[in-house]
Amino acid sequence: MNRRYLRAVYEVARKDLVVESRSKQTINAAFVFSLLIIVVFSFVFGEQVGQREVLARGALWLAVVFGGAVGMSHAVAQEGRNEALDGLLLAPVDRSAIYLGKVVSSTLFIAGIALLSLAFVVVFLDYALELESLWPILGVILLAAVGFSAVGVLLSILMLHSQLQESLLPVLLVPLVVPIILAGTALTQPDLSDGMTAAWFRILLTYDALVLVAGWMTFEYVVEE
Amino acid sequence: MSLVSVDGVSKHFGTHVGVNDISFDLETGETAVVVGANGAGKSTLIRLLASLSRPTSGRLELDGTSLTDGNAAVRARLGVVTHATMLYDELTARENLRLHARLHGVDPKRCEQLLETVGLAERGGERVAGFSHGMSKRVSLARALVHDPDLLLFDEPYTGLDQTSLRRITSVLEGIDDRTVLVSTHDLARGFELADRLLFLNDGRLVGDLEARAVDDVEDVLEAYETRCRGRPGENQPADRTGIHR
Repeated sequence: MNRRYLRAVYEVARKDLVVESRSKQTINAAFVFSLLIIVVFSFVFGEQVGQREVLARGALWLAVVFGGAVGMSHAVAQEGRNEALDGLLLAPVDRSAIYLGKVVSSTLFIAGIALLSLAFVVVFLDYALELESLWPILGVILLAAVGFSAVGVLLSILMLHSQLQESLLPVLLVPLVVPIILAGTALTQPDLSDGMTAAWFRILLTYDALVLVAGWMTFEYVVEE
Repeated sequence: MSLVSVDGVSKHFGTHVGVNDISFDLETGETAVVVGANGAGKSTLIRLLASLSRPTSGRLELDGTSLTDGNAAVRARLGVVTHATMLYDELTARENLRLHARLHGVDPKRCEQLLETVGLAERGGERVAGFSHGMSKRVSLARALVHDPDLLLFDEPYTGLDQTSLRRITSVLEGIDDRTVLVSTHDLARGFELADRLLFLNDGRLVGDLEARAVDDVEDVLEAYETRCRGRPGENQPADRTGIHR
């Protein structure tokens, strides 16, 4: 990776953040969706489920996955307007740099959605977030966001010109991010043993590495006509 | 040696044939105008040369370097304007140009000069979302020129433009005489004004390739195009169905 490659990754990620800071389409769509999921969970199951903490973890990761899918769909749709993605593809840099740039910006969006969802489950579902578990949870959120974005960017670009993009993306994305949901749910348990914590972190890291390398290697073919 | 070499290029989309066994060369500094009706394969040809699409068969080369093997460096020598502007609506004209300048490793100061060239220096700080189609197209032209490419590819550059934008874009195109240019259009009059060479496409096939100086006026070009379209074995296309505007 030379300097120009890293520069392209930075420019694509920066451009996405500037566009999002002005349109707010991704964050607004994902924010409302995540909030609704958690509020509905709170109303429907709140009084009937004994272990509120189990309910909170389920709602958190459901909100992250579906809110993230909605956000991802909006984030990549801007590349389809005016065929702006073609402009990026004409840059004299390996096209995987565009993929990595979009993964970086999407990771920040997804991590933001996850943090908001975490705040919502603390407020609406009484999730007991202790100060000493905050950093590990932030680590889980970051790793989950990386894996989710690595798969999500590839799939959403693949479906960029499909009229069914918004409905099809969650259908294809959710089965592929099952390891993230399982690891995320396990790693947000307050009483998980050290051995299990390490094992789930290893699974999450391995998953992230696999999907990132797969996306990095195949992006050129995904965008090819 | 030719700057551009297209050798036996075909592009199939499933059962549909976009372009079929096309071959031609372009010399440095030459301006070729691709003439053809809608669906003739003009846009497909431009996308193939822009390395945005991979041919099903055949070779495309720029100065001896393949345009199809994913060589990133060769894209630094291409400038492309298609009917889509390739701009981000939420960014200003200046930000869009600077993004592409930085991706091409060009000093962003050049963007100011280009905004001046396309007549948008005073509106460079406005978001593209608020621009008319013609203004967006002018920004798109500046985007394509930002890295001073050797080969310029224009796909229907005159479509849907207001008079100001039309004048600006025509004047910029006429001013490019040291670069190789390929323009696709069904506006014969404007195409003919620019052309050193005329390439006729019909149903994905190159049916004619002639020097612009070999014809006197637009009517001659239209007649030559129709003759070549009719001349294909097994075809008898009426003149009023060529879809070409005088």
